Amino acid sequence: MLNFILRRLLIIIPMALLVVTVTWGLIRMAPGNFYISERSLPPAVEQNIREKYGLDKPWYQQYGLMMLNIVKLDFGESLRYTGQSVNEIIYRHFPYSATIGLLAYLLALFIGLGAGLLAALRQNSPFDYSSMAFAMLGLSVPNFVLGPVLVLVFSLWLFWLPPARWGGGISSVILPVITLAAIYMAYIARLTRAGMLEVMRSDYIRTARAKGLNERSVLLKHGLRGGIIPVVSFTGPALASLLAGTVVVEKVFAIPGLGNIFIQSVLNRDEPLILGIVAFLSILIMIFNLVVDISYGFLDPRIRYE
Amino acid sequence: MKGTRSTQIHLGLAIVVLASFITGCTSSASTKFFGQTAAPSENVLRYVSGSEPQSLDPQVPTGQPEARVIMAFFDGLVEYHPKSMEAIPAIAESWEVSDDGTEYLFHLRKNATFSNGAPITAGDFVYTFRRALSPELAAENAYLAYYVKYAEPYNSGQSFVRDKNGHFLHQSDLEPGADPAAEPPVKPDNFGADTEFHRKMDEPMRVTVPSDEKSRTALLEKDPKLKAAVAGKESIPITAEDVGYEAIDDHTFRIKLLQPAPYFLGLLAHQYFRVVHPPTVEKFGTQWTKPENIVTSGAYKLEAHKPYDEVIAVKDPTYWDAANVHVDRIEFYPLDEQTTMLNLYKAGRVDATYNHTIPSGWIERVKEFKDEYLLFPEAVIEYYSINTTQAPMNNLKVRQAFALAVDREALAKFRKTVKPLTDFTPVGIFPRYEEARTKVYSGLLAKNNVTPEEWDKRLFDGEKARRLLGEAGFPVQKQGAGWACPTFPFENVSVVYNTSENNKAVAEFLQAQWKQNLGITVPLNNMEWKTFLPSTKALEFKGFARRGWVADYMDPFTFLALFYSAKNDSSTGWHDPRYDKLLDDANKLTDPDARFEKLAEAEFMMMSQQPVVPLSTAGTNWIKKPYVKGLYPNAGTVHAWKFVYIERDPAKWDKNVENIMKDEDPRVEQQIAQLMQSQLNLERSKDLAKNENTAAVE
Repeated sequence: MLNFILRRLLIIIPMALLVVTVTWGLIRMAPGNFYISERSLPPAVEQNIREKYGLDKPWYQQYGLMMLNIVKLDFGESLRYTGQSVNEIIYRHFPYSATIGLLAYLLALFIGLGAGLLAALRQNSPFDYSSMAFAMLGLSVPNFVLGPVLVLVFSLWLFWLPPARWGGGISSVILPVITLAAIYMAYIARLTRAGMLEVMRSDYIRTARAKGLNERSVLLKHGLRGGIIPVVSFTGPALASLLAGTVVVEKVFAIPGLGNIFIQSVLNRDEPLILGIVAFLSILIMIFNLVVDISYGFLDPRIRYE
Repeated sequence: MKGTRSTQIHLGLAIVVLASFITGCTSSASTKFFGQTAAPSENVLRYVSGSEPQSLDPQVPTGQPEARVIMAFFDGLVEYHPKSMEAIPAIAESWEVSDDGTEYLFHLRKNATFSNGAPITAGDFVYTFRRALSPELAAENAYLAYYVKYAEPYNSGQSFVRDKNGHFLHQSDLEPGADPAAEPPVKPDNFGADTEFHRKMDEPMRVTVPSDEKSRTALLEKDPKLKAAVAGKESIPITAEDVGYEAIDDHTFRIKLLQPAPYFLGLLAHQYFRVVHPPTVEKFGTQWTKPENIVTSGAYKLEAHKPYDEVIAVKDPTYWDAANVHVDRIEFYPLDEQTTMLNLYKAGRVDATYNHTIPSGWIERVKEFKDEYLLFPEAVIEYYSINTTQAPMNNLKVRQAFALAVDREALAKFRKTVKPLTDFTPVGIFPRYEEARTKVYSGLLAKNNVTPEEWDKRLFDGEKARRLLGEAGFPVQKQGAGWACPTFPFENVSVVYNTSENNKAVAEFLQAQWKQNLGITVPLNNMEWKTFLPSTKALEFKGFARRGWVADYMDPFTFLALFYSAKNDSSTGWHDPRYDKLLDDANKLTDPDARFEKLAEAEFMMMSQQPVVPLSTAGTNWIKKPYVKGLYPNAGTVHAWKFVYIERDPAKWDKNVENIMKDEDPRVEQQIAQLMQSQLNLERSKDLAKNENTAAVE
């Protein structure tokens, strides 16, 4: 087990470097640069900029320097936002995305699991139908529609909640969290329901029942552990992407999160910032995948790590 | 499975329809104001300023979102008039311009201080302006100062040429019959104090060559005369001290220009020319704009900067004009999502937005709020550049045909916020120039046997367009209800635009126009901005590229200069030395009307060659709460924040803002008049002195 974790952790490093390398290559292939604008710079000024940022060196030297810095976990300064280091920017904006993402995750898990479980237990009941219809709605309404509809109702009709911006404490978090959680909530509910239905028909549940366990412990001790495996494999990466920030929700609600910054960095050709965020996110995702893989072992005794 | 998918789609559609239905319902309910409208109890302004500022360093960023924010924190020699954007006194309480128009003398007020209490002196301006040009800073805006003597050669790393005897090579030495050994005559102009630096500045222009070996050799190879003149002489790199900025004393600042630039004073209000605190910049380097380090020179201090969230400006009580700063706190929200900012506005959480912020789908509705919606002409134009270097667009008649085949009035109606444009300077921004232009055009038209009616029909003339295309060898034939042009080389013409909903809509409109009027279907391509720029600059497009141009200062020259020199940024490949000469000649004229006439001649020359398809003059298109006063829809959407105030008495709120530029707000007018007083006093005393002199002579 420990061996497995160690091995996987070690793989993360070359994987992250590979991701960064590929990203770097893609940025370099794209035309344009961070300083190009409608007005041409005098050649000498352009030369100065290129020297200042080491762009006049051969590509392998630039690549080597970049890799060296990344190994030292120093992504350098943003090219667009002068005087701001990439580390500082990620450190500053990640918490916004993480807060919204984590709250959305908890909300989605809580409601999704609950609804899915109840629907599975009362299969073909009105609750089952209505909750699954609701889930279908959640899945099919994209968040760029849901967000504005929520704003319209709660901010512009009822004036209960602010329509956007971070400022106002808990009240400014409610709408983005619901918007973000909706689709995950729906997905988790459906996965839970399907997983539970399948597990409850399996042999070991029948054995458990045959042993005379009460329905409650059959469900919670045996059924749930197997039933939520699909949910776990879904929510692991989902948590990573939720924490990393989602562009649409951050744009609609003007949240200064990492997703927003990431898109801007690409549009600005802000290479160090792009690479920094890519490295950060890829490591985050790989760690969450690892956590998911480990949790399988606890949930399903049939899975062993070699 | 198929059923599920279509159910999903139906449900999604139902929601969208429902949402738009809901929106529709609210729009029919007519209320006096757009959303929650109540004046705040404190003097606070919440302003949506556009995308996140690249930097708060006045010399670094080029964008308008930055300009709006920086103007709160930094003062310059002059400030923009809140309506006309003309220069009004700021740190310079008055100024004089030399008779030949190449020297400016500024008298700084003695009570101006930085936010840390240090006095603002002429030396600080010298430091700021030199820094702004330094090749190390590599400011993209440096070109704004290129009219200052030796600014461009310093910024672009050039050198003077000096012989063994210490004589510098002058441009006049290159003229036939000149004696390079002799020092050229210095013509001292007695403008301001006589100093060694001033005499140096009054010398004729020295020759400058690139300091970099490779570029210098390349230049000299091309110019044998220059090569001969430079041979055997050493090159002396131009330094910041050579640029035409001079602090005569703590409160007198002099600028020497290369040649007259009548718009130069107006340019000095630009954020690029706003003064920074030298010790702070030196001490903290790139970190100097952080809230804990920054020292400001304007009406407001930086309280907090949370990127992508807010920039908080608080009134600086030690500011020299603090008594006339009415808003205690400005919260700038760096947002660029239109729907989001309008939601905030409707919910009463934002008081005003920047320009072009009402999405076209909302305009019909927002327009109803006559006390809030501001649509005024802007010093911004939209046009399509034509790649004139490739067939068939290298043919003037083809270019003219495409330009004529667009119904600009229909386009303006479709866009809702713009005005049709047939020339290259915006409509309704420079009335005096437009007057001069009308005069010049009528003369030139008569000379070219063109009737004024025909000229006016440049707005749209499908018939002539077809005829011209026929004359160019691509006859247009009647086909059914429309037209066809079978011989036209379709594969060589396309439209490329940078990705945006608006640009797409315009491109599709033009595509339809050309199909309808010429029978030619031009394919459309879009590109992300940073990909679009290098491709269009290198003329790697066939046919048309979408472009816009925003004035840097309030003078038609800011538009016409786009075609100046062979290396111009017009992305058309069009260039004509005669055009350059007309512009140069124009700027040498000190009489504004004569200068405008010359500029108009240049514009006529360029437009007759049709390197562009002019489309429209933009409109301001933004919104503010009626209780925000002193905030005007000027042509550049730059605001001098100290004129803004919050009016708590609803009876005095702005009404029918269509007239906001004509209506006089006594409070603002008085504030401007008070500021102008020092300059008027100086002008009056100068006039008096002049009259006395002439009287004495008589």
